[in-house]
Amino acid sequence: MSLIFTDDQKSLAETVRRFVAQRTPLPKVREVIGGDQAYDQEVWSRLAGDLGLAGLTIPEEYGGAGATQADLSAALRELGAGLVPSPLLACVLTAGALLALDDEEAKREVLPRIAEGALVGALAVSEPGNRRWIPAEPETTATGSGDAVTLSGAKVAVLNGAEAGVLLVQARGPQGVGLYLVERSAGGLTVTKDEVVDPTRSSATVTLDGAPARLVAGDAVAALDRVADLANLAIASEQCGAMLACLTMTTEYAKVRYAFGQPIGAYQGVKHKLADMYNLWALADAALREATRAADEEPAKLGTAAAAARTLSSPGYLTSAKETMLLHGGIGFTWEHDAHFFYKNAIAGNVLAGDADYQQDRLADKLGV
Amino acid sequence: MTSIDEFRARARAWLEQHAKPFDEAAGYDLEGSAVPLQESKRFQKALWEAGFAGITWPKEYGGQGLGAAELIAFNEEAADFDLPTGPFTIGLGMPGPTILELGTEEQRKRYLPPLLRGDEIWCQLFSEPGAGSDVASLQTTATRTETGWLINGQKVWTSGAQYSDFGTIIARTDPTVAKHRGITMFIVDMHHPGVTVRPLVVATGHAPFNEVFFDDVEVPADAVVGEVGEGWGAAVVMLRNERVTIGAGGRARSNPLGFDSLVELARARGLETDTAVRRRLAVLYARESALGAYGRVLHEETTAGVEIGARGSAAKLAGAELALWAADLAQDIIGSDIALGGADLERVVAAIVAAPGGAVAGGTNEIQRNIVGERVLGLAKDPGVDRNTPFNQLKLSR
Repeated sequence: MSLIFTDDQKSLAETVRRFVAQRTPLPKVREVIGGDQAYDQEVWSRLAGDLGLAGLTIPEEYGGAGATQADLSAALRELGAGLVPSPLLACVLTAGALLALDDEEAKREVLPRIAEGALVGALAVSEPGNRRWIPAEPETTATGSGDAVTLSGAKVAVLNGAEAGVLLVQARGPQGVGLYLVERSAGGLTVTKDEVVDPTRSSATVTLDGAPARLVAGDAVAALDRVADLANLAIASEQCGAMLACLTMTTEYAKVRYAFGQPIGAYQGVKHKLADMYNLWALADAALREATRAADEEPAKLGTAAAAARTLSSPGYLTSAKETMLLHGGIGFTWEHDAHFFYKNAIAGNVLAGDADYQQDRLADKLGV
Repeated sequence: MTSIDEFRARARAWLEQHAKPFDEAAGYDLEGSAVPLQESKRFQKALWEAGFAGITWPKEYGGQGLGAAELIAFNEEAADFDLPTGPFTIGLGMPGPTILELGTEEQRKRYLPPLLRGDEIWCQLFSEPGAGSDVASLQTTATRTETGWLINGQKVWTSGAQYSDFGTIIARTDPTVAKHRGITMFIVDMHHPGVTVRPLVVATGHAPFNEVFFDDVEVPADAVVGEVGEGWGAAVVMLRNERVTIGAGGRARSNPLGFDSLVELARARGLETDTAVRRRLAVLYARESALGAYGRVLHEETTAGVEIGARGSAAKLAGAELALWAADLAQDIIGSDIALGGADLERVVAAIVAAPGGAVAGGTNEIQRNIVGERVLGLAKDPGVDRNTPFNQLKLSR
């Protein structure tokens, strides 16, 4: 497989782009995030159902489309470019974890419902006071066995925790670190929606006080390592889309905004920053293409390639979003302009599923340095 | 087997028999003269006789008359070998294609076949001491005589001038019109007694380029490439070919500022467990591998018929920035020993000293940013306040 998009990927991207433009353009996103819902339920139903994005990379035997990571990446780029609020990332990570485990019953029960968009899954790993996204030794504990397992502890920054029907919780049990399914309706489970910087993403703080849970059989450490790769792929995809949106928006403005008798893009102070933004995008984009290629045909290289893509996309997007505000001048700092939504999305995205230090350490580990 | 596959197999077989395998660990050829000239000429002739020189050039001018697919196939196979064709790179990459595109029938017949078969070497004479990024402000003059033109002035950064037989030069033929309009391109005989070539020693202590002085150098009327006064357009054609030549570059020598080398350097200094160093090495890997992937994306798009336009400038800029960034990291890994140098640090220190060159050669980073901004993003051109002023009224660097 090559690094350039297939006709199918181009067509999928075009379909998602058209949907975003028609159903959830930025003025609409602004309305949604101004309300009390984390996302527009109807938009999510269409994305999950009609466009099939919730189950895109879930194998057909579990109700999905069995598509490639490169296909999913093409769709996520468009959603990232439009800052579309949705629980897709949370679902991708939850489904990805389940698929990496060995619990056939859990897979058959949960995956088809995620694939059809009927169920939102949320992954709960991070804990208060621990900077690592996935703690090596979680404080959350699992006690009991068989049907009588309960969890106690606290989890933070749980993406779409408040909207999820099921949580996949990392905890330390008698046999070591495991992943446990907890129903949203479970007793002893408290989910509190967080006040967040980035209004396009919803996260929650979760406390478990003897909440009934079910251990998902399989190697949780390996599954979470796989999830970290999938998170890097998905977030880098959204960020590459958003970076291109920032670049396009600012380039267009530099062509129509006049100062001192010239379009501002004629001046090197503006032009050179835009050229640098182009390169930040072009290199992150190329690294992402290499990472999705590795995911689909050379899995041994996925960890390195996905961490490399994320190591470029997160700081690259943050710089691009910041420059987008700055190059727009005064108007870029108003609430009315969209630039601040990208900036906030970039700030939160920079630390989502592991901050820059975490990603660089992870990449160095994968490289054997 | 398709005809391309057959061509590729034939090229592979010939290369295995006649060329040395690529040695990744070999150092850079800092002088640009590691291979004896006669060996280069012999090899180029053999390449031509075997049907692998001028692959896409028309047969009537000594080429093979084949397509881009054959050229790409040959280049891919050749990447595994060290071809001693360095002295011909400029002629085949810039003056040659320009003469093919703009030259007269007589010029093509006279100059292209001897270039392809390794008999004559070419150089390119554009930059001047007072005209670098703004090449169009050049001050070398060509004045009309009864039989042709008389060239006077100085050129700089000329690769291979010391062994070239011919050069393509741009000179001012009309100082009364705007700077871009009064320039003409000529073919000049580098053996003329009025041509003086001096090696140009650069920051590394090596002399990979030359300064070339022209004192009353006569060229005949039929030495003009294209039209009189249209030399800027001809130069643009040639620079476009330069970028293709640079962009087509084969495999890299093991880079003393690359990820593998700097990991080794960090290990040798006991810094491989230092958190800050590990993180910077990770970023180096990410940037280096992304640049490689970007090159492959451009290559695949070219093969698929997608125009890459000026995106080669984006890659060139990224490469120059990465080298400077890696040079900073290398210095921090080495620490205070950098001031002393020492035998084990010779290669990496040379690369650190050479790094700024990459941000200047072939167009500075600022010029590349202009190109990306204007030709990739479509931003308005620089105000260019001197664009319509007659050349003889401009303020110039002298």
